[in-house]
Amino acid sequence: MNEKLNTESVRQLLNRSSIHLDGSTLARLSDARKQALARFDARSTAPAFAWAGILTGSGRTTGSHRSQYYWAAAVLFAAILYSGATYWQHSIEHDNSDVDIAILTDDLPIDAYVD
Amino acid sequence: MWIDGLLRRLFPLILAALMCLPAMATAEAWAELTPIQQEAMAPLAKDWDSLFKKQQQHFLKLADHYPNLTPEQKERLHKRLVAWSKLTPEQRKRAREKYLAFSKVPPEKREQVKQMLREQEASKAAASSVPPAAPAH
Repeated sequence: MNEKLNTESVRQLLNRSSIHLDGSTLARLSDARKQALARFDARSTAPAFAWAGILTGSGRTTGSHRSQYYWAAAVLFAAILYSGATYWQHSIEHDNSDVDIAILTDDLPIDAYVD
Repeated sequence: MWIDGLLRRLFPLILAALMCLPAMATAEAWAELTPIQQEAMAPLAKDWDSLFKKQQQHFLKLADHYPNLTPEQKERLHKRLVAWSKLTPEQRKRAREKYLAFSKVPPEKREQVKQMLREQEASKAAASSVPPAAPAH
C-alpha cells in the first residue's frame, strides 16, 4: 500500500469491508478523512471572517487565501496612503493661499519678492 | 458568507474611489465657476481652461479671499494675477519665503525699504519714458 491515495482508490477501499484492511491503511484513511474535513472546515468558515482576520491576525485561512487577502489589504493600504498624501498636499497649498493673496494685494509689486 | 461576497464586490469600487479621490477634487471649467470666482479670476479667463487642474485649484483658493478684499486690493490682484500665473512653483515658493521674512522686519524699517523700492521703481519708469537724446551734429 505504498501507492498514493486518490479519490478513486479511496472509493474502492471504502467499498471493501474495513475488516480486510490492515491497521496502517485504516490509520491513513482516518488521517486523510480528518485532513479533508479540516480543509473543508477552513474553506467554509474562513471567507466570512477573513477580512477581520487580516486586521486581527487571527484569520483561519489557507495559504493561498491568506496571500490573496494580504495582497488586497496591501493594495487598499497603498490606495489610502496615496489619497491621504494627495489630500495633505492640497491642504498645504491651501495654507499658501493666505500668503499668496497677501503678496498679490500688497502695496509693493510682486517684483520685489520674485527673483 | 454574504459579507465576504459583498466585500469582494465592493473592493474594486472602494479601491477605484480611493484612487479617484484626488481627481474628484479637481477644479471646474471657466463656465462652471461661480460669478464671484469669475470676477476674481477675470484676468485669467482667456487661459483658464488650458491651465492644469492643479493650477486652477491654486487660483480658486485665492478666489475664496476675493470677497474680503478692498477695491484697491482687488485692483492690485487683477493687475498681478497674470504675472503670478506665469511664475514657476519654485519662484512662487521663493516669493513666499521673502514675503514672510520681510513681514518679520520691524514696521519702521519695512517702511524705509518700501520707500526705497518705490523710488527705484519711479526712477526706472522715468528712465524708460524719456526718449534717447538725439546725436549732436
